[in-house]
Amino acid sequence: MPRFLALLLALLAAGPAVAQSVVQTDNVRAELLSEVATVKPGEPFWVGLRQTIRPKWHTYWKNPGDSGLPTEIAWTLPAGATAEPIVWPTPHLFNIGGIVNYGFKDEAMLLVRITPPADLAGPLKVAADANWLVCEDVCIPEEGKFELVLPAGAGAAATPAPPAVRTLFETARRSLPIESPWPARYGVSKTGDPTVIVEARGLKAETIRDIYFFPAEWGPVASMARQNASLTTEGIVLPLRRGDAKVALPERLAGTLVLTEKTAGGDVKQAFDVSAKLDPAFVPPARALGAVDGSEQLSLVQALLFAVLGGLILNLMPCVFPVLAMKAAAFARLAGHARGEMRRDGLAYTAGVLASFGAMAAVVLAIRASVGEVTWGFQFQSPVFSLLIAYLFFTVGLNLSGVFEIGGRLAGVGQGLAARGGTTGAFFTGVLAVIVATPCTAPFMAAALGFALSQPAPATVAVLLAMGLGLALPYLALSMTPALQRLMPRPGPWMDRLRQFLAFPMYASAVWMIWVLTQQTGSDGVVYALGGMILIAFAVWVLRLGGEAAPVSWRRRGIAAAAVLLALAATLRLDNGAATAASNPGGPASGVSFEGWERFSRDRMNQAVAAGQPVFVDFTAAWCITCLVNEKVALETPASRRAFEQAGVVKLKGDWTNRDAEITAVLKEVGRAGVPLYLFWAPGADRPKILPQVLTEAMILSELSSLQQAKR
Amino acid sequence: MSNLVVHRRSLMLGLTAGGAALALAPAALATTSPDIGKPAPLFTGTDSNGKTWSLADLKGKVVVLETTNHDCPYVRKHYVAKNMQDQQREAAAKGVVWLTVASSATGEQGHVTAAQANDLTKSRDAAPAAVLLDPQSRIARAYGATVTPHMYIIDAKGVLVYKGGIDSISSSSPSDIPKAKQYVRLALDEVLAGKPVTEASTRAYGCSLKYPRTST
Repeated sequence: MPRFLALLLALLAAGPAVAQSVVQTDNVRAELLSEVATVKPGEPFWVGLRQTIRPKWHTYWKNPGDSGLPTEIAWTLPAGATAEPIVWPTPHLFNIGGIVNYGFKDEAMLLVRITPPADLAGPLKVAADANWLVCEDVCIPEEGKFELVLPAGAGAAATPAPPAVRTLFETARRSLPIESPWPARYGVSKTGDPTVIVEARGLKAETIRDIYFFPAEWGPVASMARQNASLTTEGIVLPLRRGDAKVALPERLAGTLVLTEKTAGGDVKQAFDVSAKLDPAFVPPARALGAVDGSEQLSLVQALLFAVLGGLILNLMPCVFPVLAMKAAAFARLAGHARGEMRRDGLAYTAGVLASFGAMAAVVLAIRASVGEVTWGFQFQSPVFSLLIAYLFFTVGLNLSGVFEIGGRLAGVGQGLAARGGTTGAFFTGVLAVIVATPCTAPFMAAALGFALSQPAPATVAVLLAMGLGLALPYLALSMTPALQRLMPRPGPWMDRLRQFLAFPMYASAVWMIWVLTQQTGSDGVVYALGGMILIAFAVWVLRLGGEAAPVSWRRRGIAAAAVLLALAATLRLDNGAATAASNPGGPASGVSFEGWERFSRDRMNQAVAAGQPVFVDFTAAWCITCLVNEKVALETPASRRAFEQAGVVKLKGDWTNRDAEITAVLKEVGRAGVPLYLFWAPGADRPKILPQVLTEAMILSELSSLQQAKR
Repeated sequence: MSNLVVHRRSLMLGLTAGGAALALAPAALATTSPDIGKPAPLFTGTDSNGKTWSLADLKGKVVVLETTNHDCPYVRKHYVAKNMQDQQREAAAKGVVWLTVASSATGEQGHVTAAQANDLTKSRDAAPAAVLLDPQSRIARAYGATVTPHMYIIDAKGVLVYKGGIDSISSSSPSDIPKAKQYVRLALDEVLAGKPVTEASTRAYGCSLKYPRTST
């Protein structure tokens, strides 16, 4: 009964206040709401300016982006009362003719915490002058004056507002970004562009999309530039463009990180407040202008031209040039031979290059068909590949140095065939050129590839073939044009010297590849890579014992093969290493925390259920952001922890990071394909209740309180 | 076939060399704003009286660009309060060429014909050297203009020395003008005195610039 009276009082008190607190303009209905009906002196409470925005129109976030203005509220409060700054909901991105704005559509609730004076006597009058800019294509500044009169409660606590209003506040809180569970840092490239790394390690690329960083203020970051966020072993990497403010970048770069996670139960949008610390040691690579900004507007013809150009430039890369120089030297020997033969040679080489690029196109198309959207780089971060390429560079380097000669029987297929004379040899030189070129191609290919990936299949193939054509072009031209051939120097001892010299760019390329590897695996990669190289060198030495002409015994072959296999085995280590590093607990936010929870097992669950205990099961994974957020906002809040404890709930947590088979079976039984999954067994129940995949604290508390009531 | 497998880091390496190839990309693919201290993007435009203006011909003079959209409340703020007209007159008196650029695309808010532009100049008692008609938003795009009014100052050597807002208080209320720091006026004084501009890049505020819709 006293509760009912309080409610009635609250409604009476709220009645006249509501009438004064609504402003209807042409485009926005704005209302000032209070979460409490009566206030307690000195005790903070929340008010909210709720904007209901005309369809298709929008108001602005604290950083409005390229144009627009944030909503401003000027408070008039009695002496001693304070109003804190607006707590902003998660913004949306609006792109209007290339101008990017951050703001809200349909509805926005701007929360503000107000503290009444401790010596409040009589009602608290909260008056606000608010102005906001509302835009569709055109912009209209609007304003409103609001007033709430909140009686000071007689009781010990403030009285809550009616349930409908409280629901609005509850909903508003759910659309606030939560504090990032991961630390973040940022570095500045030589061109002044910042890159933020949110150290969320071990996330799964295929479940996370639409990553966007909303910078908290105008200046340090340009809102207009596209952000090509990616997931790497370091976490979420956000390459940004520096903004227009001519000031030094701040010690901390703040913003809101938004992403969408695909879970078994559907897509979940999450938002985190991030404050990235300036890390002077981190200098991100400069941004590929063409790749990032241009790809969208690149026409097919332009893309083809770039592809040919890119291919041409590839010839000069330190990793490709030696191969070509070898080819050119061989060509010089051919000088004087029939023109037809030279032409055939050039054409075969071109065919080899084009076939390789054609194969690449096929891979791209196949990936796209199976994965759906492909983001360049993202799917292709394999330490194994880096290591193999490093080995290849090293081996080609050894060959150029003259440590061993390539014979068809001993070396890898590509090189072996490449060393063969005639048309087949020319064809495989083309293939080899492409293989060694790929790591160097990336920067040049980025623009064209970005374009290729977003195009229908024929365009994808055309772009890649155009790049191959560019790569083959110089040699093709040489073989076709006698005038150019006459410019070639005569063969002689210089050819050997040149060849030996060219080993050095090859070694340098290997060093670079190892550096790339360490970026992927950490310093352990160096041990595997250099160890593997020693084994390869050892294998070469074993095979060459006794000189070039001596026959190689099977035993020596066996030893060499073992050494090479051991070198290759390092790749397995790397692969495992990367996978376990991601799920290995200990690192920041890299694993599932079991603090306060028991490890799930079906036996333990059955046993507790049979004993009539309430059981809560949380199936989670280190890469599941929604799971993490649920823990933060619902399961691990002080109130929830207390309620779990009071109700004597057995809390079990299952870690599905590595697709544990026992858990997979449970998921299947309840018809789920993945985590999060929350099961709640009431005492004596014969089946668990499946809770929604997005939890709130209120949900948990109400489940647990129903338990308490049932007990009584 | 694994030879496509390249780590993202390696994708970005060697960009110093890569930049050379990429710099050949057609300009103005995206709206990016030019840098302070660099040569201002050249443009040629026709004014409301049919006269052609080219930035290249204005070497030796300080030039102000003002993007405009007469129906935008923020443009109106500065015209109703005569702030814009006063600054145009002051600039003219000091030999500065003030070009108002009507960059709203055809069919969008703020698009004007030559006659309308002249009527507006008259009715608002404005005093720019000329009103350039930019219905394809070419000039605005070259300068990365995002709002109206978006202000730019180009010095006598053709270098961009200021970009940003007309003043420091981003509101639509004319009563804020006397309280605001008038960035353009301050920057012009510094430029004419041969000094570097203290606040060379500020946040422009106003209505979003009405670019042609196909460009989205």
